[in-house]
Amino acid sequence: MAEWGRTTLEMVVQELQQPVRLDASFERRVMVRVRRLYAQRRRRGFGTWLGVASRVTHHPGWAAALAAGIVAIVTAGVLRTRPPVSPSASSVFEPVQFVLVAPAAQSVAVVGDFNDWGLNDSALVATNHQGVWSVTAPVPAGVHRYAFVVNGKEWVADPSAPRSAGDDFGLPSSALIVEDSTK
Amino acid sequence: MESSDAALVSRVLHGEVNAYGALVSRYRDRYARYAVHMLGNREDAEEALQDAFTRAYRSLPRCEDPERFGAWLFRILVNRCRTSGARRVRRGQTFVHDDGALMKASEEHPAEQTMWREEIERAVGELSPDQREAFLLKYVEDLGYDEMAEITGVGVSALKMRVMRACDRLRTLLREVHSG
Repeated sequence: MAEWGRTTLEMVVQELQQPVRLDASFERRVMVRVRRLYAQRRRRGFGTWLGVASRVTHHPGWAAALAAGIVAIVTAGVLRTRPPVSPSASSVFEPVQFVLVAPAAQSVAVVGDFNDWGLNDSALVATNHQGVWSVTAPVPAGVHRYAFVVNGKEWVADPSAPRSAGDDFGLPSSALIVEDSTK
Repeated sequence: MESSDAALVSRVLHGEVNAYGALVSRYRDRYARYAVHMLGNREDAEEALQDAFTRAYRSLPRCEDPERFGAWLFRILVNRCRTSGARRVRRGQTFVHDDGALMKASEEHPAEQTMWREEIERAVGELSPDQREAFLLKYVEDLGYDEMAEITGVGVSALKMRVMRACDRLRTLLREVHSG
């Protein structure tokens, strides 16, 4: 064999750069998965569910009066907390209220793995109450990742929730545990 | 005229799910090569690539720069390969060759070249996952160190060290084959 050097490295690289061709069924298999996800999201139909607050969040720097009120709601949520559910999402949906205080925001939406990160206009649009943005929606029991989208472009993790691990996408997100109330 | 990545992403985000097929078609072979070399066999590589495409679809609104969808997808794939590789190590599975590719190569190339290819694949499989990842990104995918750092989350100097060690290791492994 030729002496190892630049030339040999080039030969190694040349071999490794040979194209790898997948058969035509690969694309079909991916699209079957994708269409299934699309159909699931449509079936899920995230509408408006008014219900119990189980997660309330805020930005640092709240007015003291507001903060006091929010702390009370957080406490109510904690009192309802049960042991953690299994990490997989189930078919049982529980109402979850998302709240973010962002007085300067023009819009706030909630996106997460439970609504395909807002794919196809599925983001949960929050309503503004004097700078306190909130929305309540059904979320499957299980462990989820979510984030707030402020003004349609700024991704904000929940400052009071744990950051989710293993984020592949380079954007902040938070972890959410939704308990199954039927158990 | 071929649609840009950004145009296809926009169509998917507006509910045209079939437009995603064009993105799959555009990137599947290009990224299959990385996954096959990284994971050592076609079956695991296809699974990782399918996962990457599916995760990318689910998270498409999080693609900040749709014009660079390919780079974003590649980052997801690199992560999937890491996860898949770690799982395989836990299972105690060893690297196997891509038999389909080798068979195809044996039809198209003389026996000597097939052996050379086999030796290279075996040597690449012997690298640690970190070194293999860095070597493939640098030399096979032809990325700059800054891009590699962005994709892997590893610092440039650490990546340079991994690439250097990978080259040293490959040199040793391929010399052993030819001297033994």
